[in-house]
Amino acid sequence: MRSNVLLVLPAWNEAGNIGDVVAELRDVRPADDIVVVDDGSLDGTTAAAAAAGCVVVPLPFHLGYGAAVQAGVKYGRRHGYEVVVTFDADGQHDPGDIAPLAACIREGADLALGSRFLARGSYRGGAVRQAGRHVFSGLTWLLTGMRISDPTSGLKALGVRAQTLFALAGFPDRFPDADALVLARRARLIVVERPARMRPSHNRHSMHGGYRAVAYTFNMCLSLLVAAAGRETDLRG
Amino acid sequence: MPIRQKVFFLSVAVVLLLVIVELIRRRRLRVEYSWLWIASGVTIILLILRYDVLVWLTATTGAVIPTSTLFFLSILYLALLSLNYSVRLSDLTRQVKELAQEVALLRAERDAPRDRP
Repeated sequence: MRSNVLLVLPAWNEAGNIGDVVAELRDVRPADDIVVVDDGSLDGTTAAAAAAGCVVVPLPFHLGYGAAVQAGVKYGRRHGYEVVVTFDADGQHDPGDIAPLAACIREGADLALGSRFLARGSYRGGAVRQAGRHVFSGLTWLLTGMRISDPTSGLKALGVRAQTLFALAGFPDRFPDADALVLARRARLIVVERPARMRPSHNRHSMHGGYRAVAYTFNMCLSLLVAAAGRETDLRG
Repeated sequence: MPIRQKVFFLSVAVVLLLVIVELIRRRRLRVEYSWLWIASGVTIILLILRYDVLVWLTATTGAVIPTSTLFFLSILYLALLSLNYSVRLSDLTRQVKELAQEVALLRAERDAPRDRP
């Protein structure tokens, strides 16, 4: 039976992981549909995902995490899924955490975030990344009044209204983070957070290292201001 | 302005205008972008023919020598031009992203297993 939940896995050069991640998801969530967004991989991620029996959205070139997620959300929206869950393809998320997030959407929330900081015994990342999260979590609180502990979380459940917002052409498409939450708040979405366990990922292309961390922080602060002070049309497209 | 300078700079401006017109003729430059370039070439010619306009501008803005007025205007012009390019690049980036996503979604439809609803 179709559960009306779509699992979106943005994947960039994850050919080696995707099979296992999908197998585990199928095991825990047999009723959900899975779509893998291949973000311009060069290692045959599309073939690996297709071999695992997933629908693949093969981006013709690398667009970046946010745009890959957005492509998956567009897919979910066009096929009328009630809940779209974004799930990292590198195996750092636990499929068991999907159910509570999907339940939040069914109970009326528009956007449910999985937070590693609410989960006991979860991997939390290095000191720098943690510090960054505290900064953005604080800024989100200042700008929206929402207490969100883990704004960068890649594990999110989106109801129909959140899908519509995330699918807008002008939606932050680099690494949607606190700026996405500010927009969600301005669009009057109901945002909730639930604990989610994270495992250390074996991600080769972590985006928060070295000078990139500085550039990221700067860009995110700008993006936050844009999200907070943007025009009303940003929310309609 | 000495006649020698006038002739030299006029020929530079005319060559520039000819290059622009030729680019438009070969459709390498879109007509809607080219008015800006034609306007630039014409402005250069006007400033050469009417040097007193530059002198007047220098006096009005409180600059000391016409050369600095000219450099200031040129740099300002180039800065605005690159700002304009950034805006266009941002638009193009967004359009390319939307297109790429659309292509990928259509490919997904095409290759989807037929037994799906």
